[in-house]
Amino acid sequence: MTTQGSLTGRERVNRMFARQDQDRIPRHESFWPETITRWQEEGLSGEQSDVLDLLESDFGQVTWMWPSPFRGQGRTIQQDASTRVVRDEHGKLARYWKNKSGTPEHLGFDCDSREKWEQVYKPALLNTGLQVDVHAAKRAFRRARELGQWAYVAGVESFEQTRTMMGDEITLMGMMEYPEWIRDVSVTCTDVMLRNLDAIVAEGVHFDGLWTYGDMAYNHATMCSPATYRELIWPDHKRLAMWAHAHNMKFIYHTDGDINGVMDLYVEAGFDCIQPLEAKANMDIRTLCPKYGQQLAMFGNCNVMKYATNDRAVIEEEIRAKLEAGKKTRGYAYHSDHSVPPQVSWETYQFIIDLVKRYGKY
Amino acid sequence: MAELQELTQVIIKGNRAEAKRLTQAAIDAQVPARQVLDALVAGMDEVGRRFQRNEVFVPEMLIASRAMKEAMALLEPMLVKAGIKPEYIAVIGAVQGDLHDIGKNLVAMMWRGANFQVVDLGTNVPAEKFIAAVKEHRAQVVGLSSLLTTTMPAMQATVKAIKDAGLGSLKVVVGGAPITQDFAKEIGADGFSPDAAGAVDLVRKLLAA
Repeated sequence: MTTQGSLTGRERVNRMFARQDQDRIPRHESFWPETITRWQEEGLSGEQSDVLDLLESDFGQVTWMWPSPFRGQGRTIQQDASTRVVRDEHGKLARYWKNKSGTPEHLGFDCDSREKWEQVYKPALLNTGLQVDVHAAKRAFRRARELGQWAYVAGVESFEQTRTMMGDEITLMGMMEYPEWIRDVSVTCTDVMLRNLDAIVAEGVHFDGLWTYGDMAYNHATMCSPATYRELIWPDHKRLAMWAHAHNMKFIYHTDGDINGVMDLYVEAGFDCIQPLEAKANMDIRTLCPKYGQQLAMFGNCNVMKYATNDRAVIEEEIRAKLEAGKKTRGYAYHSDHSVPPQVSWETYQFIIDLVKRYGKY
Repeated sequence: MAELQELTQVIIKGNRAEAKRLTQAAIDAQVPARQVLDALVAGMDEVGRRFQRNEVFVPEMLIASRAMKEAMALLEPMLVKAGIKPEYIAVIGAVQGDLHDIGKNLVAMMWRGANFQVVDLGTNVPAEKFIAAVKEHRAQVVGLSSLLTTTMPAMQATVKAIKDAGLGSLKVVVGGAPITQDFAKEIGADGFSPDAAGAVDLVRKLLAA
């Protein structure tokens, strides 16, 4: 349902990026899997996609990319009643819940030295061929166009890929002690991603934007200093943004956490949009929009912790305040500031949809 | 002493080789173990202060902690010989249902850097395991971590179980991405820290009171 009002979803999002008038703000949302399960028990008829239809999401995903050195070679090492230990296709040993979502417990990382990176992981990454199903992407793209959605390719950027292969401690200490190693990993991961993106475009899939995922911050600050980010990772983020612009696309960057310290670098790299702007990590579009609203579109920032109260007055004030602030720039799209958690009832989320529709009109 | 000041500085810089060399030199020169320990702890305290001011970040904290750990390994026998005990005994873990370990590990690291004895129970820790560890190690403080909104109820239940267990003057401190001061108060925790460095000062204040 993306043709509500006078604009398609694609037209609406494009006008948002151009800071032109829209009938309403564009919308999208993310959910924990347990949230959808709860809602189904409370009367939701359908799946996550049906909730997005109710919200009238304007965005359609063409494909998801997370390049790995050992594609298709992940295997379960051991398991018990509730968890399983997996050596995944990135070489990471991790324990996952069998019936719950969430970040896994990291038990070990095989790529723990520069030698192993150069001799095993780097060649594997460079020699695994394409990591996307371009034909499936083509079909999804066609579908998004039929629905009038703003079509995007989602993918994991080099910092997140590095952490996935090498773990936080090796990655972050490596930034201090072996910066040229971390730089090499980042460049290689980005090269692989760009190769895959080129392959998708070569099939005639001229999507609208590249939506890149990489959590580079936590609730207090960025994981590394802005200077370290500028030296080691930022050049590759800039390459991705430049690739998108060279193909007449927009570049959306997803990161959780407090990124106030690197917003200027995002502008300098040519990012078009930041998402989801985590409220509990000191991100607030009421202060960000006046400062960055012309250079960066803001996507999100509605506080899921307030949603989790199920208190209608609290939630209405949150959505009213954030949407009013966002609309002032014409460069704002609705999304919660993370993923909607299972503490939120289905009744509450239907109320949230109503509020987003009411306060999101221009 | 200039050598001890230098030791503090190399801890701040995370220079593990120099930290070990200077610690060994101090041991060889029969500098009292307490003075060497104080120099090391002073380095980590300064790293914590700089971290809270966003002057250093997680990578700098990690390499400083590693330098501290390696220096402490050399100093440990001298501390035992001199009868110097850890400042406090702490138990830490991620609450049941939570498999995240990053934040919890950083707090454990900073506590060790402040000369706390830390019993790390890992992730997905049930309340009874926290209680048993507190009793076994005679801990004065227990730290609960939760990274997800989905495991906040488990944190609340764990705090209640620990409080109900009647463990004397034990302090319960909490932290994690979705945790706030208000939530900590609401669930009956004794303290909350928004970051790993703050967790050191929090425990010192709570236990000195």
